[in-house]
Amino acid sequence: MSRSDRRYVLLLLAPATVFLAVFVAWPLLNLFRDSFYEVGLMTPGERSFVGLENFQRALTSSRVGGAALRTLAYTGIVLTAEFTLGFGVALLFNSLGRRSELLRTIFLFPLMIPPIVAGLLWRFLLIDNFGIVNHILRQLGLLASTSDIAWLGDRDIVLFSVALPDIWLTTSFVTLVLYTGLQNIPASLLEAARIDGAGALQLFRYVTLPLLRPVIAVVLFIRGIDAARAFDIIWVQTEGGPRFASEVLSMHIYRNMIRYGDVGFASAIAVLFLLAMLALSLLAFFSIWRPQALRGDA
Amino acid sequence: MNPGRLLVLALVAFVMLLYISPYGYMMLTSFKPAEDALAIPPHILPRQFSLDSYSRFAKDAEVPRSFLNSFIVAMMSTTLAVSLALPAAWAISRYGSWPGRFFLLVALVTRMIPYIAIAIPFFALMRSFRLTDTWLAVALAHVTISLPLAIWLLAGFLEAIPSELEDAARVDGCSRAAALLRVIVPVAAGGIVVTAIFCFLASWNEFLYALLLTSVEAKTAPIVIAQFKSQYSLDWGSMTAVGTLYSLPVIIFSLFMQRRIVAGMTMGAVKG
Repeated sequence: MSRSDRRYVLLLLAPATVFLAVFVAWPLLNLFRDSFYEVGLMTPGERSFVGLENFQRALTSSRVGGAALRTLAYTGIVLTAEFTLGFGVALLFNSLGRRSELLRTIFLFPLMIPPIVAGLLWRFLLIDNFGIVNHILRQLGLLASTSDIAWLGDRDIVLFSVALPDIWLTTSFVTLVLYTGLQNIPASLLEAARIDGAGALQLFRYVTLPLLRPVIAVVLFIRGIDAARAFDIIWVQTEGGPRFASEVLSMHIYRNMIRYGDVGFASAIAVLFLLAMLALSLLAFFSIWRPQALRGDA
Repeated sequence: MNPGRLLVLALVAFVMLLYISPYGYMMLTSFKPAEDALAIPPHILPRQFSLDSYSRFAKDAEVPRSFLNSFIVAMMSTTLAVSLALPAAWAISRYGSWPGRFFLLVALVTRMIPYIAIAIPFFALMRSFRLTDTWLAVALAHVTISLPLAIWLLAGFLEAIPSELEDAARVDGCSRAAALLRVIVPVAAGGIVVTAIFCFLASWNEFLYALLLTSVEAKTAPIVIAQFKSQYSLDWGSMTAVGTLYSLPVIIFSLFMQRRIVAGMTMGAVKG
């Protein structure tokens, strides 16, 4: 690359770089700085240095610990459900081949629904006395009374209930990506294995699954990150309740900032959250993603 | 088609119907008289057709204004994100080299950051610029989400364009910038449109930043919808009506564009 080429490249990259520096990097630096201070929400000028106190508080707080565990559990619930359902439907579509086009179109559309509309809609469906879900369950004879299951009011099941709209919205994404991955597997390869005497199950286990591995890794990676930082879809259903049973980390940080006005403490938790996310994603990235396999013609 | 296949198809069709039924129920409820949304027991079909629930859109000036706010913010952030991402993506896909690869990595790492971690200091930043409760503040916040996405998508689309195209334009006397604007951009128009749709959707649907950065004037529709209250509880009738109004245009539009959208979505993931 010539010198003028290099200068041109830097020129092309400059606008985006400046934007990311001012509106992402600079705020993040401020976040790190504020985590060592006591700062009020409405008086950002008056700050006093408190050293590691915010971090100490965060690491010993049972509410932060609880929120962190719930974030992990929520991510686990969402990933498990979306992957199982999404993969199943992708295999179905794949076996139907071209005939699945209309079905795929239908399957696409929840992806376009705003998460807060989906969250509110499910809250409406799951209300105990006049919600349609409990009403149908009762009509089917599965419930004696419509107040038997308090989907969003029972602390033991609320984390599963709030995951429902998320699963509803984004299983399609998992399906579409896995379906494309399945379609990209060369038919000749499957044919060759079949001629060698492989049964359907062996075909799946030894040809399809290994070839699909990078695509599976990407889907889990993307969805894992999004589930871990979910806020809106849970917020509009429960605001973290009842008694914090559905409060995930993003929400607890938001509360510390807005409701309690404790920006320093909120920043410290956010820094810990951010570092944990980066560490976990990079770990996942290097252990399962295998980027070089992707940069080919996946 | 043999009967087994037909059975599978019927089964899948049934599951699909069940899958979209929550949305259908929302639309049906929106056409019931407002108090019927709370009827015990609930009934699926409206007993009586009514546009009662939609009246909130007409009566409560905050609702149409929030739709306008959402639209303006989405247009602003989409325009900004695409115009920042296009030159960067072109540099990455046409010239490769380390700055390009480094940039892709930055875009990827940005995607791993929890929104709330940027939102806290972003709020203070906007306060110091005296921008809180303006379209610009929300639009800028939304660009932090859509810019990395746009760079990844566009870099993928532009990679498909042969570099000879730029060379030919330059031989014909175009400057490099003119070659990019007059030759490359028209060729990549399809990819740019898909990228713009994704940026628009990201902004249209966003909630957390809008919640933090707006209070009265610039409230976007998701914020207003989430705050619907009636005398006793949430105003479910209005929620179903306004929720439908807010999501249906986007759904219809994207059904028309579905091939392209699926291509963009799977490219982002399948190609990395």
